[in-house]
Amino acid sequence: MRETTQQEKLMSIGISMLALGIFPLIWFLSQALLFRELTDAISRNLLVVVALIIGSSFIFLLFLGMDKIIKLAPKDNRDALEARMFVGPSLFMISLFLFYPAVRTIYISFKDRYSKDFIGFENYKWAFSDPEMIVTIRNQIIWLFFVVFFVLLIGLVVGWLSDRLNKGEAFFKSIVFLPMAISAVGASAIFKFIYEYRPPPLTQIGIINGIRVSVDRLGAQCMNNRIINGEFNGFDNENCLKPIGWLQQRDMSNLPFAQSLDANNWFNNIVVNLPVNTMLLMLIMIWMFTGFAAVVFSAGIKAIPQEIMEAGQIDGASEIRVFRSIVIPYIKSTIIVVGTYMVVTVLKAFDIIYVSTRGDLETNLLAVKMLDEFSKYRNFGRSATVAVLIFVCVLPIIIGTAIREKENAQS
Amino acid sequence: MTRNNQKWYDKPISKLILVTIALTWIFPIFGFVLSSFRPGESIKRESWWDAIYTGKLWTELTLANYSEIFFADNLDRSFYNSFAVTIPSTIIPITIAAFAAYAFAFMEFRGKEVLFLFVVGSMIIPLQMSLIPLVQLFKSGIEVFGIPIIPELDLNGTFVATWFAHTGFGLPLATFLLRDFMMGLPKSVIESAKIDGASNMTTFFKLVLPLSVAGIAAFGTFQFLWVYNDFLVANVFLGVYNPENLVVTSHVSQLAVGAYGEAWHLRTSGAIISMIVPLIVFFSLQRFFIRGLIGGAVKG
Amino acid sequence: MKKPLLVSFLLLTLILGACGGGSLEGEEVSITGALIGTDQDGFRAAFEPFMEETGIVVTYQGSDNFEQEIQIQMESGDTPDFALWPQPGAVVDAANRGMLTPLADLDIDLEQYQNDFSAYLVGLGTVDGVIYGGANAANLKSIVWYQPAEFEARGYSVPSTWDEMIALADQIVADGMNPFCFGMYSNGASGWLATDWMEDIMLRTGNGVDSYDQWVNHEIPFNDPVVKNAATLLSQIMHTEGYVVGGTDAIVSTYFGNAQDPMFSKDANGNPGCFMHRQASFITGFWPEGEKAGAGTVTTVFPFPSIDASLPAAALGGGDMWGAFNDRDATKAVAEYMLSAEFYNNVATRPDNARLSAHTGFDTSLYAAPINKILGDTIAAALSANSFRFDASDLMPPEVGAGSFWKEMMNLAVEGPGYIDTALDTIENSWP
Repeated sequence: MRETTQQEKLMSIGISMLALGIFPLIWFLSQALLFRELTDAISRNLLVVVALIIGSSFIFLLFLGMDKIIKLAPKDNRDALEARMFVGPSLFMISLFLFYPAVRTIYISFKDRYSKDFIGFENYKWAFSDPEMIVTIRNQIIWLFFVVFFVLLIGLVVGWLSDRLNKGEAFFKSIVFLPMAISAVGASAIFKFIYEYRPPPLTQIGIINGIRVSVDRLGAQCMNNRIINGEFNGFDNENCLKPIGWLQQRDMSNLPFAQSLDANNWFNNIVVNLPVNTMLLMLIMIWMFTGFAAVVFSAGIKAIPQEIMEAGQIDGASEIRVFRSIVIPYIKSTIIVVGTYMVVTVLKAFDIIYVSTRGDLETNLLAVKMLDEFSKYRNFGRSATVAVLIFVCVLPIIIGTAIREKENAQS
Repeated sequence: MTRNNQKWYDKPISKLILVTIALTWIFPIFGFVLSSFRPGESIKRESWWDAIYTGKLWTELTLANYSEIFFADNLDRSFYNSFAVTIPSTIIPITIAAFAAYAFAFMEFRGKEVLFLFVVGSMIIPLQMSLIPLVQLFKSGIEVFGIPIIPELDLNGTFVATWFAHTGFGLPLATFLLRDFMMGLPKSVIESAKIDGASNMTTFFKLVLPLSVAGIAAFGTFQFLWVYNDFLVANVFLGVYNPENLVVTSHVSQLAVGAYGEAWHLRTSGAIISMIVPLIVFFSLQRFFIRGLIGGAVKG
Repeated sequence: MKKPLLVSFLLLTLILGACGGGSLEGEEVSITGALIGTDQDGFRAAFEPFMEETGIVVTYQGSDNFEQEIQIQMESGDTPDFALWPQPGAVVDAANRGMLTPLADLDIDLEQYQNDFSAYLVGLGTVDGVIYGGANAANLKSIVWYQPAEFEARGYSVPSTWDEMIALADQIVADGMNPFCFGMYSNGASGWLATDWMEDIMLRTGNGVDSYDQWVNHEIPFNDPVVKNAATLLSQIMHTEGYVVGGTDAIVSTYFGNAQDPMFSKDANGNPGCFMHRQASFITGFWPEGEKAGAGTVTTVFPFPSIDASLPAAALGGGDMWGAFNDRDATKAVAEYMLSAEFYNNVATRPDNARLSAHTGFDTSLYAAPINKILGDTIAAALSANSFRFDASDLMPPEVGAGSFWKEMMNLAVEGPGYIDTALDTIENSWP
């Protein structure tokens, strides 16, 4: 081993700066400026073609170029340089596009409406005292609990049952998986069509209200404006059930079965106060994400060695016991991964509420509230505060992930 | 066949559960799709199940709703725009993430754990939080103490702006998933390649990349669906005040909402038209998607 | 004699041509706003003659996410040339943050502008005496939709006072039908219809326009007796058994755009679901396709009835207001055009147009739809007589006007008349 000379050291610093700093910057700028000029200079169709080609291939130039420069460096330095070259762009983009804005948001949350003066913890006091904020936080907790629970539960059931089918497994999984391809906006439209409410003399076209007003009762024939042989059968009968605006029900008080409950019982009180609209909105998310969970779980169950399963069956253990004592423990880590993903997704949940109720009638969630404060009430400080709250909620999960990572690394 | 040999899952009860779940899942879409083929006035006058019941449905089916949306002015242009936004916005983050994932999985360097945690941690940052600084960056660059680090760019309104925005938002999950996937690859193969003297670049391109196709396709599908279905980022960086730059989702939602009120015939057909591309991508890549997820999330 | 004239004429056209075509030809001016669909088509059409004449390319792009997007644009400094807001409050807010260019810097003749659009409307876009907002379209809210044929067939007459309206409502209930359509659900803005009712009642009780202005500016508290009286009258409509078709459930659950549909749907006996619907002029855009053509004839309006006969008639309305983000020459030209009476010519002639010019000098005979003529004349007359008042909830601070006021009106509908005091106290406490 020989000592590195001053000159070599300088050279390797120069090369690493060139490779890790200057070259990526040039790469970024050239692409940016090229497109800025092209956008006005050439026709739209040509622009789209150029965008597709350049946008998809230019990125490889970044790494190839960096590699070429690094090859100039002395051999012993190369390994460290290469590692930095591999992770550099990723870290750079995350810092610039995600981390820096996050820090800035925390800073803004201590400032006033137009981010002019510091107001200390005023915004945080507001966040925990404003009645609407309290409802929003309540909803977020309900969502976290129910959505994650049901996605995991139904996902496990589907994954477990479909895995053991002789045929048709792929078919069942595809059906449950299908909503993954549908945007939250599309899914919300689909469910709004089911919950649709129209004032009474009009035909109910949402199926829940449609069935409700079609139930013959108290001797009346309830027809929901059915057209039979060209004859219109209105439903102006007093005895028929009335439609319900499902997404407008903050509690169960409009449902007959809840009205018949004894109000003095604490359990009944909880039932009567269940937020119907929030529950129905959660259904949309459960519908969208269960397939994802099911597919991952089914793969996990497939990976369980056959001998273990058979041993359980020979023991005469009931299938439910096999499920509980063999399957669940075996895919525990998979459940945790999917659960973590779901918690993060629920905390960021935005589109469903934004499209279907915009938070009206106590259905708001934090991500939508953040936006409301930003654009509807035009209070940037409060908006940032809500963002920070979302952040804080996820912190335990990140720490949990970190601990798991460490354990995995040690084992 | 003895009773013991009969597998419990062949019992009617488990099949019943599955069929019930499957029907529940497909049911919401059913009435929605049906309504997209009915005239607007009929949708309001008679519920779709009554229309089936009375048999009127079959006489009134029409493609008019679809043609109204499909032949709207410049919808084709919006489709092209969507592709020009979506495809690079999928490829760029995957490439960057694949390199980073390789380093996190197979290379040793200082601060590896901390940096990885940083990547995972940024997964939770809500998109809305970073929009403003990004628009500022793409408009006027970055200055530190008056020294321009990145010059004034004036990028908003170009495709590049959306590519980089989506890259930022997609990177953490991509890096996380791909690294998990690569960790599942047989270590011995990679190590033997290194012993044979192959450089990291060669190992990456010749060995790891081909082995990770499933993982890459899985995240690719994810990112594609997300970018294609999004219109907040597209509207902010591309199309707010330039009609030429509308993407499909935004355009269709305007057509459907813009018709006011109870335009269920347009809302249904519009939603279905904007679902076409995601569904095609989804079903053609479904196998990869599932395999990729398995590699990532399932560990013994 | 002849030659010099011809020469000077030629010279003049050359100069004009050079000015018009040379300096601004091909310049682009971008506008964004919340108008989409047919409104967007109409707004774009308004610029066609202007673009032909000047060569300036004006693009308008609306978005249903406009409010959020324009905030992001303003924060980042990457703004279009104009934004068209649905509330003047947002213009004031943007001006307060130093985002907007005063109209004076756009070389607008301010005096002319005030004459054309009324000092009241101009005042809504003014901050500390500096005018930032350009009035554009207006809508009329002090109207009740009804079908004359249905009234005639049953011998009902159009009510001109509140008491007459209540008497008519009782009569309709006695006849076994429901007098009112009322639906106030609206994604993210549920409750605004009830605030509109409150405002209309406020304009006709207490000191009329004066107490209305005091109420808007919080010079009287929100739980003042005048306001409480208004809420009580509103509650009479919402909560009297049989008044509203579908009852309070329908009030809370019905999307405002569908609220009038019962009027168009007849039962087996040929009776409509309701007879009266108090809603703004733009509601025609939400009607079923088959009914739109009958606006102004089959289905038309009577003015919101007076309550205190000693007060002069007043009209409640809303409207759009634009703000400019720079003072380029092309921007100036577009601003001037948008303030001209001709701006709405091309829009008015469209049969599907539901937007009305706020320019008092606008030629209302141009409106293709008969209803728009009636409404347009009413707006112009009210503006000239200074009896036009803007939707109060759009003028109050957003925490109240877009927050507690809307929300408590929803609660009031659900809870019943006993909730009035709680509702008003809650709103009062939320005033920042």
